[in-house]
Amino acid sequence: MNMKKLTAFLLAATMTFSLAACGNPEVAGDSSAPAETAPAAETPAETPAETAPEQAEVPAEKQDVSLRIWGAEEDQAMLQGMIDAFAEHYADYANFSIELGVESESTAKDTVLTDIEAAADVYAFASDQLVDLVNAGALQSIDEMDGALQAYAGKSVADIKAANVDGAVEASTYNNTLYAFPMSADNGYFLFYDSSVLSADDVKSWDAMLTKAGEAGKKVGMTIASGWYNASFFYGAGFTTGLNADGTTAIDWNGTADVSGVEVTKGMLDIASNSAFLAVADGDISNQIASGQLCAAVSGTWDALAAQEAFGDGYAATKLPTFTAGGKEIQQAAVVGYKMVAVNAYSQNAGWAALLAEWITNEENQAIRFATREVGPSNKVVADSGEVAANVAIAALAEQSAYGVVQTVGGNFWDPTATFGEMIAQGSLVRDDDAAIQTALDTMVEGVSAAVQ
Amino acid sequence: MERVKTALGSFFGAIGGFFKKFGTAVAQGDIFVKLSLLWMGAGYCRRKQFIKAILITIFEVAVIAFTFGFALDYVSKFSTLGTVQQESVFNVMTMKNEFNDYDHSFLILLMSLVSFVVWIIFAVIYLNNVIHAFELQKLEESGKHINTFREDMREFLNRKFHITLLTLPVVGIIIFTVIPFFVLFLVAFTNYDQQHMPPSALFTWVGFRNFRDLFSSGGLTVTFGYAFVRVLAWTLIWAVFATFTTYIGGILLSLLINHKNTKLPRMWRTLFIITIAVPQFVSLLLVRNFFANNGIANTFCANIGLTGWLRDIGAISTSYIPFLSAPGWAHVMIVIINIWVGVPYQMLIATGVLMNIPTEQMESAKIDGATPRQIFVHITMPYVLFITGPSLVTDFVKNINNFNVIFLLTNGVFTTTNQLMANSQAKEVDLLVTWLYTLTQDYYNYKMASAIGIIVFLICAVFTLVSFNRLIQGDREEAYR
Amino acid sequence: MKKKYIDMIWRHVLLAFLAFIWLIPIVWLFVTSFSTYPGRNTSTFFPEHWTLNNYKNLLFAADSVAQFPNWFKNTFIVACCSCIISSAFVLMVAYATSCMRFKMRKPLMNIGVILNLFPGFLSMIAVYFILRTLNLTNNHWGLVLVYSASSGLGYLIAKGFFDTIPASLREAAYLDGASEATIFYKVVVPMSQPIIVYTVISSFLAPWMDFVFAKMILNAGISSKWTVSIGLFNMLDKSLINTYFTQFCAGGVLVSIPISALFVIMQKFYVEGVTGGSVKG
Repeated sequence: MNMKKLTAFLLAATMTFSLAACGNPEVAGDSSAPAETAPAAETPAETPAETAPEQAEVPAEKQDVSLRIWGAEEDQAMLQGMIDAFAEHYADYANFSIELGVESESTAKDTVLTDIEAAADVYAFASDQLVDLVNAGALQSIDEMDGALQAYAGKSVADIKAANVDGAVEASTYNNTLYAFPMSADNGYFLFYDSSVLSADDVKSWDAMLTKAGEAGKKVGMTIASGWYNASFFYGAGFTTGLNADGTTAIDWNGTADVSGVEVTKGMLDIASNSAFLAVADGDISNQIASGQLCAAVSGTWDALAAQEAFGDGYAATKLPTFTAGGKEIQQAAVVGYKMVAVNAYSQNAGWAALLAEWITNEENQAIRFATREVGPSNKVVADSGEVAANVAIAALAEQSAYGVVQTVGGNFWDPTATFGEMIAQGSLVRDDDAAIQTALDTMVEGVSAAVQ
Repeated sequence: MERVKTALGSFFGAIGGFFKKFGTAVAQGDIFVKLSLLWMGAGYCRRKQFIKAILITIFEVAVIAFTFGFALDYVSKFSTLGTVQQESVFNVMTMKNEFNDYDHSFLILLMSLVSFVVWIIFAVIYLNNVIHAFELQKLEESGKHINTFREDMREFLNRKFHITLLTLPVVGIIIFTVIPFFVLFLVAFTNYDQQHMPPSALFTWVGFRNFRDLFSSGGLTVTFGYAFVRVLAWTLIWAVFATFTTYIGGILLSLLINHKNTKLPRMWRTLFIITIAVPQFVSLLLVRNFFANNGIANTFCANIGLTGWLRDIGAISTSYIPFLSAPGWAHVMIVIINIWVGVPYQMLIATGVLMNIPTEQMESAKIDGATPRQIFVHITMPYVLFITGPSLVTDFVKNINNFNVIFLLTNGVFTTTNQLMANSQAKEVDLLVTWLYTLTQDYYNYKMASAIGIIVFLICAVFTLVSFNRLIQGDREEAYR
Repeated sequence: MKKKYIDMIWRHVLLAFLAFIWLIPIVWLFVTSFSTYPGRNTSTFFPEHWTLNNYKNLLFAADSVAQFPNWFKNTFIVACCSCIISSAFVLMVAYATSCMRFKMRKPLMNIGVILNLFPGFLSMIAVYFILRTLNLTNNHWGLVLVYSASSGLGYLIAKGFFDTIPASLREAAYLDGASEATIFYKVVVPMSQPIIVYTVISSFLAPWMDFVFAKMILNAGISSKWTVSIGLFNMLDKSLINTYFTQFCAGGVLVSIPISALFVIMQKFYVEGVTGGSVKG
């Protein structure tokens, strides 16, 4: 029994002391902490400091503000410049210590949702993650920040909405609340092609394009096994996706819009079974472009460089082609995506975090972002500038945006649609078997619209 | 089974005896022993063991402080897992959000468990303390020597050395394995999922609903039952193949290398060991690119006409060989690649075993005119099996949970074409553990992941108990001495 | 005699063939790390143009993506610490269960075996929150604890080895008045070289291989704090793979060199250690 005794004693003692230490409110994560620390004892200064804007009562003493921000790997150097400028611009109000971390915009959601309270105060993400992030309560409502923005940045939320293109604002809004600052408007796809192989007329329809590519011994690449890409066929034919109030995804692809879902699937099968078509695995398209076997590819601005290198002087880009379904020529739509910068709802310095997020997405910095990384801006003024309009890829994106759809879907959308696309890519659906196609569509719809677990 | 019964019997017997001792101590002890029920140092003080008295008093106070300062905050909410939803208001004056005193269901669950563990430990020490006080009383009454503190301490280096040795490792195991295990266990009975994610939302107890959902296929629930059966089947098939192929491969390879006709055995061994030295995630990700749909292996196969031939005979419908992207192909490839990964390890182990084969038996067999094959089948193999049997079982269990190989080879490459599987976020090549990983990392479906986790654990535990118990138990441990 | 030569020939041919197959991916890793083309080469086995730039960039031109020297240092420190703690824990538990007799020995051993079946990462999230409560996330000590705290569960092999140490040795020391602690330090540990080498190697390797736990615990996105495995794994991110694949290969080679050296040098002990527990001495 004595063995147990000492083991247990030491064990309990270790635990007791270490855990008792954690009852201390300053350790993040203790649920009692915010209540004790939040109502700040400091009363606002009676007269605003001279430097402060007139509308707001600002504490006379300079606060110490520490913030953490996440941005993509490729953006780090540029972001550091923006952060330094931010700290300098607002140096009169607070002493900033800002830590810049790496988190890809495409995976931000995964990291944030593991532990929201430990996530960065400010982070960038792609628009398809907005719904999940809002549902998890991870995003600070920007509408609530109106006062802070007016006081320090001299802009209202309405100004920010007005400054950015409507689609970007729409994509950053959920349940009539703005949840993020639009940063870029180029997270969508269109067609890159080699104009030395395909003429501008050829790329107007899939049929012509594939025929011509086949003759030239080249291929046209597109990712089909992904709901982000293959939705373009369905959206083009008038089908929709959306979110229900209970968080489930609404989807009608097994019904009939302009043509029936079965006809759209047949149209996709026609394309996929063409020997000049290459079904590319998700994320592999840049590699395929670089390999030189493609003369056209469906992708976005992130592959502009790869396409430029591969196609050389023939480098060109345009909207997606039309495809044939149910005897009609249907313009393929595209998902238009945006990237935005959000404020963590659990940020210790939500106000300054919002200002930082606003700062790195403002007009000037969107211009810088375009200049250094050729990122298509969401800011109207920057988007209308001469250099941006002259960019081949961004011009194609603008052309495509007339047929663009903002994709609002829940988490259950991705796996079933990817599988559906893979079935088309691998040819496990038979073109003439209408019943089987209908069943496949029904099963997919069932999976997508399943209750959120 | 008998063994388990006796083990359980003696275990509960020991517990009963413990309480009986405690009862006797309280009943027959003097006032100081009884006072120890309140102040744990009382008995020691009376017997002039002051340092011990101080230490145990500090401990008692610490536990009480822990209970009222920390544990009760969480444990009091354990039955509901919290009721106060998070709310916040932005204060433009301070530029900060002001939060209410919200509940974090997961922390309530975790910290309650921690508190329970601390209390259980305290209870054991508390009961023991009274018993010990009574023992001291008896020692004193019979006029025997009572240890000084120094003598007590010295015991921990000698007769009670195992306590000194085991304390830290056990603390580590409790904090990093036992408590997490119970958390996993409890989460399976809650509705912790994407709709109920702390800190912004609360989750609560739902009883056995998750297990019901898991085993009822079709109907209202997503097709979890359907996917579960298939994933489980592949998990077991994989574990059998992965274990035996590498095991037999390892033995054959080491026989080949360690044969007297093989020159430079050390060099050959080193060549194979190099593959162990490359971290698995590097080598596996590399192999995955090697066998990608557009990888080198495919380029090569297309160049020598293999791809075309396979298309002609109808084995594939794509313009590439789907090494890792179609069911069937991927299953076989994964097992083959696992052979590549696992055989060098097994070869090392088998080398060690073979070096120690009792040679007398072999010699006498040879003299009797046995062929090398006969020697291998009747002497070498039984010996090796006998020696490595336990590790074969552990390998099997490890393979059931072999996350790395499956995840690194198929994640992001393999897209299922089975729609029912896809509707449950599963793939044909998923093991239970990789499925579980997807459920938590991509879908935040912690409740289902926990339910599956428990089942994985049960499978492993039952398998091990049945096949392993005799092998690892003390039967052999005295044999060598 | 002729038969013997034929036997020798086919053995060596077979071995050479197997070694060839086993080394293909390794050679590919090695040659790709010298390629000038930064993405995945899909058409040829050997790169078209050779360069040392990948190594140069990796080692001397750290950017936010590739901070190899930092990663290597971090992983090395974590690996050393966790290997010391794990080895100590394993030896301690093994000695207590093998050489000492006490009441709770068998129940504890059984519980240990069953708990060891439990794959740690199933409960990653719980471990994460425990570390966060102890304020050890984004901290290399947290990582050390994750790799080593439960290592006592892996005591079986070492225990088997201790079982083979003749009890008479300990009894002799006991008669000379040595305490259990003295026997442990002066008699048993010095005799356990193979099992120590085995434990040290296997616990030293874990931090170089694991990316799941490391990624979860070092989640602040500060790339200079990462370990080698997170860093290299990150290079294969969709947006980076086409610029960093060859650096990934170079990193893989650099990591493998010290580990292979360790293995080659320690081969003999490793083999003895891994089987020591199950082989009669």
